Parts: sequence; structure tokens; C-alpha cells
Amino acid sequence: MPETLKLQINFSGGAELLFDKIKKHNIELPSVRKYLPDSKAEKWTIRELLVWIKGNLLKERPELFLQGDSVRPGILVLINDADWELFGELEYELQQNDNIMFISTLHGG
Amino acid sequence: MDLIELEKEVEELRRLLQKKENELCLLKQNLNIVSPVLDQNGSHSDTGVTGTETKGTLPKWAIERYSRQILVPEIGVKGQEKLMRGRVLIVGAGGLGCPAGVYLAGAGVGELGLVDYDAVDITNIHRQFLHGEKMQNISKADSAARSLRSINSRIKITAHNIQLSASNALEIASRYDVILDCSDNVPTRYLLNDVSVLTKIPLISGSALKMEGQLTIYGYREVDDKKKEPYTGPCYRCLFPSPPPPEAVGSCSANGVSGPVPGTIGCLQALEAIKLLVGRNRESLLVQRMLIFDGDDMTFRTVKLRSRNDRCAACSDNATLTELIDYEALCSMPANDKELDLHILPPEHRIGATELVQQMNKPGHLLVDVRSENEYQMCCIEGAVNYPIDKLEKMFEELMENISGASRVTFICRRGNDSQVAAKLAMEKIEKNREKIQDVEGGLHAWAKYIDRDFPVY
Repeated sequence: MPETLKLQINFSGGAELLFDKIKKHNIELPSVRKYLPDSKAEKWTIRELLVWIKGNLLKERPELFLQGDSVRPGILVLINDADWELFGELEYELQQNDNIMFISTLHGG
Repeated sequence: MDLIELEKEVEELRRLLQKKENELCLLKQNLNIVSPVLDQNGSHSDTGVTGTETKGTLPKWAIERYSRQILVPEIGVKGQEKLMRGRVLIVGAGGLGCPAGVYLAGAGVGELGLVDYDAVDITNIHRQFLHGEKMQNISKADSAARSLRSINSRIKITAHNIQLSASNALEIASRYDVILDCSDNVPTRYLLNDVSVLTKIPLISGSALKMEGQLTIYGYREVDDKKKEPYTGPCYRCLFPSPPPPEAVGSCSANGVSGPVPGTIGCLQALEAIKLLVGRNRESLLVQRMLIFDGDDMTFRTVKLRSRNDRCAACSDNATLTELIDYEALCSMPANDKELDLHILPPEHRIGATELVQQMNKPGHLLVDVRSENEYQMCCIEGAVNYPIDKLEKMFEELMENISGASRVTFICRRGNDSQVAAKLAMEKIEKNREKIQDVEGGLHAWAKYIDRDFPVY
């Protein structure tokens, strides 16, 4: 078992504006116990990933990305190209090489 | 020749042309060649000649006209008949509605309705190609309907020149089989979703901004008489139970859009409408799937969506929604993509464009343009320095240094909203001489109106 967890994080639909306008991020997560020693979490789930993103990738206006411990309304989260609702949303346990996408819905036409 | 005279003459001729076109349309209808409706036996007598070998039910003109798509096995004769009986409502005659309308009119969809409250503006034309330069300031619904009639005079086209709202949406939508959401704002998207749920009419929802587009079908119902509970796809509220915060919502007028991006999505909305009308099944339709188009890296991604939410306020068995509501209140946003005039600064810190000219002539005046670099490069007032609002945080110290050396500081932007935000930030930071900071009410639009008529208004 490798120590770190490699993921690809994608932002689109305007969500990338909060992340230095970069749409694709290849990240490597340390062990969750090391990163969040005070938390009871044993494994990385989306819930902890959001905390990590806030601390490491998010550049501005966190309220336009997060609300409470989840994403704000209007952002769709996809785990390997499928709606996170199909995998337990915040509780989904991240796997090696997962692709997690945060899409802000568009309204223009 | 006198310009006004000529314009008048053109307008007269246009009116005459419209009148003649209407007459022609009526004549054709009376000759019964415009109506695609077949008689009860499904037969027809287009030529009056009996004994012609026509096994199908389509008239000669329809076979000829639509042959290229009838040849496609997924459509065929039966599909074409369904298309000709089909009725599609297109909400928004803009960047999505124009391409969608062109393909649906071309395909011979029996009836098209076009809803738009707005008038054609020169900034629309790069992507809204049913409107020509001559149609500026004319209703978009009328302009689009006119262009579509020139593509296909055999279908019925209705222009609904109104703002769709809770008071009129159900009545209009109930006359159609499919709704295309080609709108440009959040309240209309929630309104159309609820209309779709209440009327059980499927909603093909497209959207586009900058270089990206999204497309999916909401409220799809499988037609299967054998099953007790036919499959129903998710609705917009299953995915997005609450609206996004207004400050997170972009618009084409504020953020821009490349024409072919809504063009692409609008074309695909038409394709999904055609497939839906001819009766393609849910596996082949964008049901419980969303297409995400990125025109910048040229990728199409189709992602899997959740199924209908058991607790959805709109479409579940426990739904609380029984009638349409006030969608502007629900979303805290107006049902258009126009900018609001904000009032952030106290009036004594706001000046008009004329006063700006006077102050610019005095020594030590600093004019700060807070629009994006891109906009600053398009056009700016001579002498203005650029501190884009979304880079202000990084450049704030430098700006404050500049401000401390100036006798008076004026913030300006396109319309006079961001300039207030920036001025307020500077006022909060500065320790003394707060009164030297101000912004221009109406921004560069006011500048163009009152001072420099050559300044581009965008």
C-alpha cells in the first residue's frame, strides 16, 4: 500500500476561477492521520478532501465553493465521471487514481 | 439621399414584405399544403392523381423535402410523421435558441413556439444568427420567427413576445410536447423545471458560457403502458435542490461567450428534441446523463447523473410543489441576464461623468479602472490605470501606495458596480482623507453617453 493517494482534481464551469484558473490538478494526499491528526478519519473521503482543497488549492472566496462541510449549491461533484450521489456523497472513500470533478452549473445562453 | 428618409422607406418596405408574406402563408394554408396533418385514414391526395404507388402516408412534398433524414433508419417514415405532428417550445431566442430553432424548423417539426421578452441588440449577433443587423431593437421572438419562416414555410411558428413567468408559463407550455430551455438566467431555469414537472412535458436543458457548455434532459418519462410505474428521469431540482448564490452566477454579458459554444449546444438540443419526438428510447437520449463540452480543450464528456430524488420538492411522490411560485424571489435574482445598479457607496462619494472631466484636469488626480485586463485593452480613458477587481487582493498594497500620493482618486468600471466595491475597499483601508475617494456613477457607459460618443459601449 503506498503511503500517498494520487488523485486528479478537475474544476470546470467557472469553478476553476477560484483555483487560479487552473482546471486540472494532479495531487498527492499524505496519510489522512498525518494531515488531520485531530480528526477521527481513518481514510480519505470526499469530506476530508474538501478540507484539504480548502487548505491547499482554494485561492479565493471560499464561500463560492463551500457551504458548511459540503460544496455550495450549484456545484455538481463527479467521481470518475459519475454523480457523487451514486457513491454516498461526502462519505465516499477515495481510491488511488480517482478523478474528482467539481462542475459549476452554467446558466447562460 | 437623406438617411432618415431612406430608413423610413426600408421600414415601409419591410412592413409591406411582411404583409405579403402573411398573405402568401394564408393562401397556402387555404390550399391545404401548409398543414402537415394527415386525414383520418392517414392518406392524402396532394396531386389529385389516383393510383400513384405511395405505401406511406407522407405527401410527395414531404418525402422530397425531408428525404435525407427519412433515409436515416433511426428516423424513417414513422419518425418523420411524428416530427410533423410534433410541437416544440423554445424558451430564449438567443445563442442556444437560434441553432436549435434552425434545425427543428429544417426537420419539419410541425409547430415551433419561440419565447423571448428581449429585443435584438448588436452584441447578440455574433452568436444569435437568426437576427441580422437590420433587426436591431426588434423583438427577438419576432425576428427569430421571421427567419425561421424563411427556412420552412410549411410549419407553424408562433412568436411569444413576453417574459415567461409563473402567471403565463403553464398556459403556454401546455400547447407543446417538448420544452427547450435556451434561457440565460437561473430563475427561468427553475421556472421551466417546475413547468416541466407539473405538465409532465420533458425539458431539454442547454447552457453555455465563455468556452463551456452543458446539456441534459430533465423530467423524461418513459411511455410504456404495460408498466404500472413508468420510469421518470431526474428533474433540475433533483440535482440542484437550492439555487446558487447570485454572486457565483456568470452571464454572457458579464463573462462573455464564444459564439460556436452555445451554437454547438443548441444544435445538440435540437438533435435530442428530434430523437425524443421520434421516440428513441431512454438509453439513447441524454436522460440521467449530462454532456459537458469544453470548447477550449475540445473535449466532450458524458457523465452519469443520479436518478430521481425520492425527496425532491418538485417531482417526487412527496413533492411539496403544487403550483408555480415566485422564481425571482426563490433565486434572489432577476429573470434576465442584465446587470443591476448597485448602491454601495454613499451618494457623496459618487460623481457623474461630467464631473470626472473637471477633476481629470486638476493635478494629482488618479483614475483607477477596475475592469479586467481584457476589457481595459479593448478601450479605456486615457490616463487611467488598470487594477482589475479580481486581482485587487494581490495588487492592493501597490494601489494603496498610488492612492496615498494622489490628491483625488476616482474608481471606474463598465457600469458603476465594481467601481463601488473597489472604492469601498480602499476607503476602509485608508486612514485619512477618505473623502478624496469616489467612483463614477454609470461607469464607462455614462462616459460614452455624456462625454465621448466615440467610446465603445459593450
